[in-house]
Amino acid sequence: MPPAIHPIDLVDILRQHRLTPAIIFLTSRRGCDEAIDTFIHSTAGVSASRSEEIRTFLEKFSKEFPSIANHPLIPVVQDYGVAAHHAGHLPSWKIAIEELMRQGLLDAVFATTTLAAGVDFPARTVVVSQSSVRKSQDFADLTVSEIQQLAGRGGRRGKDFVGFVVVTPSPYIDLHVLGKGLTGQPEPIDSQFVVSFPMVLNLLKAHALDQIEGLLAKSFAQFQLNQRAAIHQDRLGELQEQLKPYGPRECADWVAQWKVFDLARRRKAHRRPVVNTDSPYLTACLPFLTAGRLIGLAKGPAIILRQYRSRGTGTPMLSVLHAKGTLGECQAQRVVEIYDQVHEFQPIRNLPWCPPRTLHQFKNILSQLPVRPPTLPILEASQEPDDPLLSNILTEEFACPTCPSHEACKKDVAVASRLQLKAQQATKTIQALRDGLWHQFQRKADVLHKFGYLTATLQLTDTGEWGRLIRINHSLLITELIRMEAFSGIAPELLAGVMASIAHDDDRPSSYMRLTPGLATMLAQVRQVADSLRAYEPTPLLRSDVAAIAERWIGQTELSWASLVRSTSMAEGDVYRLLARTLEFLSQIYGLKATHPGLADTAHQAMVNMRREVLAELP
Amino acid sequence: MNDADLQRELVSLPIKYLHKFAKGRIHRHFRLSKRRLIDSILALPSEQKMAIAHEVEQISTSPKKSPATSGNPKSSSPFYPKRSSPKKLSKSAPPSSAIGLQDLLEGIGVPEPKPFIPDDWQKEAVEAIAHSDVIVSAPTGSGKTFVATEAIQQAMARNQTVIYTSPLKALSNTKYMEFSQFFGKDQVGILTGDRRDNSQAPLLIMTTEILRNILYDATSGDLDLRLHTLGLVILDESQYLADPERGVVWEETLILCPTQTRLLLLSASIGNPQELAEWLTAIRPTTSCHLIRHTKRSVPLRALYLHPSGQLVPLLENRDIQQQKGYRFHPETKRLFNEYEFKPYR
Repeated sequence: MPPAIHPIDLVDILRQHRLTPAIIFLTSRRGCDEAIDTFIHSTAGVSASRSEEIRTFLEKFSKEFPSIANHPLIPVVQDYGVAAHHAGHLPSWKIAIEELMRQGLLDAVFATTTLAAGVDFPARTVVVSQSSVRKSQDFADLTVSEIQQLAGRGGRRGKDFVGFVVVTPSPYIDLHVLGKGLTGQPEPIDSQFVVSFPMVLNLLKAHALDQIEGLLAKSFAQFQLNQRAAIHQDRLGELQEQLKPYGPRECADWVAQWKVFDLARRRKAHRRPVVNTDSPYLTACLPFLTAGRLIGLAKGPAIILRQYRSRGTGTPMLSVLHAKGTLGECQAQRVVEIYDQVHEFQPIRNLPWCPPRTLHQFKNILSQLPVRPPTLPILEASQEPDDPLLSNILTEEFACPTCPSHEACKKDVAVASRLQLKAQQATKTIQALRDGLWHQFQRKADVLHKFGYLTATLQLTDTGEWGRLIRINHSLLITELIRMEAFSGIAPELLAGVMASIAHDDDRPSSYMRLTPGLATMLAQVRQVADSLRAYEPTPLLRSDVAAIAERWIGQTELSWASLVRSTSMAEGDVYRLLARTLEFLSQIYGLKATHPGLADTAHQAMVNMRREVLAELP
Repeated sequence: MNDADLQRELVSLPIKYLHKFAKGRIHRHFRLSKRRLIDSILALPSEQKMAIAHEVEQISTSPKKSPATSGNPKSSSPFYPKRSSPKKLSKSAPPSSAIGLQDLLEGIGVPEPKPFIPDDWQKEAVEAIAHSDVIVSAPTGSGKTFVATEAIQQAMARNQTVIYTSPLKALSNTKYMEFSQFFGKDQVGILTGDRRDNSQAPLLIMTTEILRNILYDATSGDLDLRLHTLGLVILDESQYLADPERGVVWEETLILCPTQTRLLLLSASIGNPQELAEWLTAIRPTTSCHLIRHTKRSVPLRALYLHPSGQLVPLLENRDIQQQKGYRFHPETKRLFNEYEFKPYR
């Protein structure tokens, strides 16, 4: 596998050609961190004066944001003028790097492509080393918009005459993706509108039902759907134009009429001989002629050992044990009497079809038979009647054969029925496009009615009144949990832990944090509820390790950020984001203070405990 | 000429010449790839190799050109015929139509600080926002923030409230600091889920979700913010409208926005801004929507290819990246990249 250029060489070359400051986009966070680590062995540092400037800046900055004061990357940044910037870092660190970059104190920043949108600082040069990014499961090519977003960071207005994009190959790069991306037209954007439960509740709170239909019609989604519907409408118009010559003839709906006629005719013509040649009586008998059954043959009584069909003609055959103790084969139709007597045994697959002991038993049974064992009455099924509808049609007299337009119909029916089908499809599609969103809304409303947030007339119930204030993902799960009083009297740290596990939707490797028993039981209950709601709302990941992180941070107020981060393998930035998101969820619960004062107080307590150190730095 | 020299010369020659040398000397030479051809030429007896070396010298000296200097200024003249003649064989001189590295690196530097003069499109946008909604679709770093600050100032002068939304909390924070410096700390407030810093300020920064929630509460009556004075809503990074998970929030915000409020949508380059503008015009009957689409970058952007060996060459045949005109890779880039892809690089 061909290697990529070494980060130190890369920065050297950029410096030589006066292409710094540069943003270097790499695929992974790890790549960025490793690139920075290599600089420890580099000899080419920045000048002492610049190093000093960076130092003073960072010192000043860490007064406002103490969380970066002891950042492990500070020496590299000061000595070599390079830094890493990705989602694994704290926001304060990222702001510091961005600010340093704006002041032109850094030569290179290693950043991940995935967060290109969050990178809001320009440079003279942008280095791109891959043409694809990791998206949830696999790799996908960068889109034109994404590449232009990346490349757009090159060239600072007012500070550069020209900007540069440097493409440097790494394994699996496709230059053409980048070529297209740099010069092409960005993709059009499409609406991603979906109706959510909070949306339904909030719209119903403020608007009448008929107004809501109008509001949904105002969405960009509907605007785009209407455009598509218009295309189908045009096509429908064309189809109807084409259908004109096939208007009503002798009968109004001649195509349908012809189809029925055709069906009947075919049915008559293709009446196949029945494949099964067994007589009805034999067919009725066969289910009873099973292994172990006592039967009467012309020669005398016998016990069936197995039933099979003959190889050639498929005649049903029996292997039997005769009364005199011999084994024999006979056709099933030769059976004279079927007695109401079955002897269970373990059949085996080859002669004599049963274990020797059973054979011996059967011989005994046959020798001691009563004169007239009870017989089994066989009910012969009558011939199955034809499909009633079809038999009706078959007996009906058709006008078609004598109709004056018979020939014309025969000629046109293929084209006309195809056109009709297409027209029907187009009409259906148009309907679906026009009403799709409204139906989506109605379905969601039905679910909410089922759970008791809405009355039958789609008015908000008391539950709905407060339920609409939860406007986050998994809102149904959270409101249901509140209704079940799952959170009554809960400690703030437990509430935060549960919220964290609901909020966190990232499946990056776990952090091996030990759960307290209380949280574990709580999470098990939440999971049960989530599973029961599976049909209505996607189930959250409910990771217990992230719950434990939140629980520790809220529960142990003396715990320092550094020791929290040390106790998990999650990146600092990820922990920050997890807690920030939990805070958001908690603040939504705090919003229920009018109806659930106790719970809101708990949430508030959790929020207060949450907001310390790093989490208090930024709003 | 030793083997190494000969090999280098051969590599630089088009394969056509190699076949000429191999004719009569190597069996079934026409089946061989360039690399295999060179290998088999080098494996020939020494007197045959001498003869080939002689021929090679003749060929490489006939168009009198010094090899090894890249970016011959003459060869990069734009008036030179586009098709490269097969006589140009020197290794590193690019064919005439392509430009050299020197041209590309020309003009690096820092312009004199001069007073900021807004571009025409920026002026147009600022004028338009006074009386209609505006969508600005422009590349990154082309000065959309200028439009935003001008619009904010306009609205503030009219004593109106302005809401500025961004998709990410991180961007909100950055903008909060930027605007605090620009307008003064008391003029800017920030709203998050649980915090309200200076929420009575005329300019409020928040994420789009927060604004959507405010609009929900406003329409249902329990209002805690001054929406009647809301004069302007700025949606930064509005291309998030197409975000699979969160895009719906942007749509809701736009639908629920009060009619008297002006909208300013700032978006990176997208393919269909016209469609967005038509939509906004359709759903907001009282105002039309003015589209400003700016595709040209204020700072020209050039593309380079950096080979892992440290060689820097132009990526494309044109000097500046040109939009929507297709692209052709620079021949040097093609050569180096093929080498990179197929030959294990040491």
